[in-house]
Amino acid sequence: MTVDIFMVFQIDFKSGKPAYLQLVEQVRYAAASGAIKPGEALPSIRPLAEELRLNRNTVAKAYAELESLGVIETVGGKGCFLKDNQSPFTRQVRHKLVIKDIDQAVVTAHQLQVDAATFLALVRERLDLFAERKTHEK
Amino acid sequence: MNTPIIETKGLSRRFGKTDAVNGLSLSVPPGRCYGFFGRNGAGKTTTIKCLLNLLRPTAGTVRVFGLDPQRDEVSVKSRLCYVPDAVAFYPWMTVRDTLNYLASFRPKWNGEVEASLLQRFELDPGKKTADLSKGQKTQLALISAIAPEPELLVLDEPTSGLDPIVRREFIETVIGAYQSGDPEKRTVFVSTHLIAEFEGLIDEFTIIEQGRGVLTMDADAARDRFKRIRARFAQAPPELKLPGALDLRRKGREMEMLCNGGSEELLEILRAARPEDLRCESLSLEEIFVACKALTQAAP
Repeated sequence: MTVDIFMVFQIDFKSGKPAYLQLVEQVRYAAASGAIKPGEALPSIRPLAEELRLNRNTVAKAYAELESLGVIETVGGKGCFLKDNQSPFTRQVRHKLVIKDIDQAVVTAHQLQVDAATFLALVRERLDLFAERKTHEK
Repeated sequence: MNTPIIETKGLSRRFGKTDAVNGLSLSVPPGRCYGFFGRNGAGKTTTIKCLLNLLRPTAGTVRVFGLDPQRDEVSVKSRLCYVPDAVAFYPWMTVRDTLNYLASFRPKWNGEVEASLLQRFELDPGKKTADLSKGQKTQLALISAIAPEPELLVLDEPTSGLDPIVRREFIETVIGAYQSGDPEKRTVFVSTHLIAEFEGLIDEFTIIEQGRGVLTMDADAARDRFKRIRARFAQAPPELKLPGALDLRRKGREMEMLCNGGSEELLEILRAARPEDLRCESLSLEEIFVACKALTQAAP
């Protein structure tokens, strides 16, 4: 079955991020938060493009990127499915990728004068929230 | 490199003493959705008419599919479809008659697409075209432009004067029905001043002003380059040297500016002045169009 996740996706042209990257991130977020579960189908390109009023090529580019990241897999004639959490990357590369995002959050926290203790507490809170959502979904 | 689907070089068209189009050069690669933005009277429709050989250029060259639309009129026109801003059909014909009539000129006609769009738009095939509303006429024009599965779809202000629901359906149809074919053979050239609606569809665009192309860019690159920065300070904003800041405004404790690249450097300078709040956002294509003059006056 296809998850009804049209509502999850929203493209913001003011964010400065290309639309296809926003879509990539939102699918990864939906996967991390359990909104889409492994084995579930993603909406096919055409209806999603129509719904978001995005160029089809943009959605196709996002799906191609997700596939190369190992997040989804395309089954010929059936569509795109979320893969198991098995990341194709080595531990080291995975850490590097996470660190990149953490660094960005650290910079933002610094700009907004959020101190280290509060920052860590927030991280903890988010981790718990995601974990809770996941068990909830199961 | 693929032959551009549309290419003009130094295209000019004069009406009396007015240069409606003045030295316009465009290059639209295959498979792209190309936006052609300009105010009323900027020369959009004149340009399109030159592409379709409805007008002869005063100077310059026009190539569509690499062909001269004047010399190879039939082969050019048989591969494209055009939806003008004001559609007119023979008023005595029904919707069905009109589609049959238009299909008779076309080498290809996808009946399935026609049927599904008629249903989607809830158009009654037995109705006379004279009795259709403006929105329904546009929908009929869109069906007759998509069913032949042309390699190039030329849309001239397709959504102006339509209600928001019809506009939305129009765009969804272009994305869904038209773009579902072989992407290399589905080029869209859309002229509009209602840019926000096409934001997600546009790959690349040209802004035309008084017949001249003033800015041609890839849409993602443009949103990456043109930004608005807002800063709010605890007190009146300090005097800062802000190289590359355009259209700088100060209001109370706030400052606002646009930039054409170089946003990181500006943010760095502003951050050092310890603002209470600092935001940076990309300009939408519509905002880029509106602010085009301020944005292009100085490159960093």
